[in-house]
Amino acid sequence: MKIKLTSILVDDQDKALEFYTQVLRFQKKFDFPVGKYKWITVVSPEEPNEVQLALEPNANPAAKTFQEAMFSQTIPLAAFEVDDIEKEYERLKALGVLFTREPTRSGPITLAVFSDTCGNLIQIYQPSH
Amino acid sequence: MLITRDLFDRLCAARDLLGEVRESSPSIPQIAAHVGISPFHFIRQFEALFGTTPHRFRVDSRLRQAQLLLARGHHSVTEVCMEVGFTSLGSFSSLFSRRVGVSPGSYQRHARVLIHVPAFVPGSLFPGCLTLMEGLPASAFRNFREAQPGAHR
Repeated sequence: MKIKLTSILVDDQDKALEFYTQVLRFQKKFDFPVGKYKWITVVSPEEPNEVQLALEPNANPAAKTFQEAMFSQTIPLAAFEVDDIEKEYERLKALGVLFTREPTRSGPITLAVFSDTCGNLIQIYQPSH
Repeated sequence: MLITRDLFDRLCAARDLLGEVRESSPSIPQIAAHVGISPFHFIRQFEALFGTTPHRFRVDSRLRQAQLLLARGHHSVTEVCMEVGFTSLGSFSSLFSRRVGVSPGSYQRHARVLIHVPAFVPGSLFPGCLTLMEGLPASAFRNFREAQPGAHR
């Protein structure tokens, strides 16, 4: 059994695809209609055949409630690993990304937290060498 | 941009206020003042955090509430329009159609039919497909169970 698919709730699938590809620089893998919504997945360009991230609509009221509660409690709903967090932090800030936590050492990692503009706080982290 | 926890909490509070759908609501500058953020910074910071302007967020909240009210079927389109805070039936209808894809009247008639149809199960199961359900009011699900076999179209 392998972990090849994970997902995150987004409040607007088109807006999310744009942010996750143009800003975070993930690559679109799948994008096709499913009823009223779309099945959209992105992958890391560094590992295009590994884990896919599905950008799921939060239309289900329970999903929306959960997402909004986590957001207002500043709990990130996903964490992505980076090689150079200071460089990534500056790059994302220059693109207008809003951070709620600048790169901060936390035990074995350094982490930062930003908004994906689609209802989530996202953590990026760099493992210590 | 980097914001403090305090500013984050104020922006979330502003979002909650903008999400409160009523017949008459405070203006956006009033909301900014209420949460203690300067109007100059408010729109920019709100948009960076939530991916939409305060105005668009408010309109969206109103339209979402309008969908719920229309699906319930107790009010006319005009009554729903006013209850969610629009003053012009024309702009309500065109904003609604643009967002939802059908006119408010069509949506109300269509939603009534859906409520009496037995639960639709997606043909192919993608992971997380359960989150693809529409945001119908709770009464819709009660009626799903009460529907008689053969009562669907």
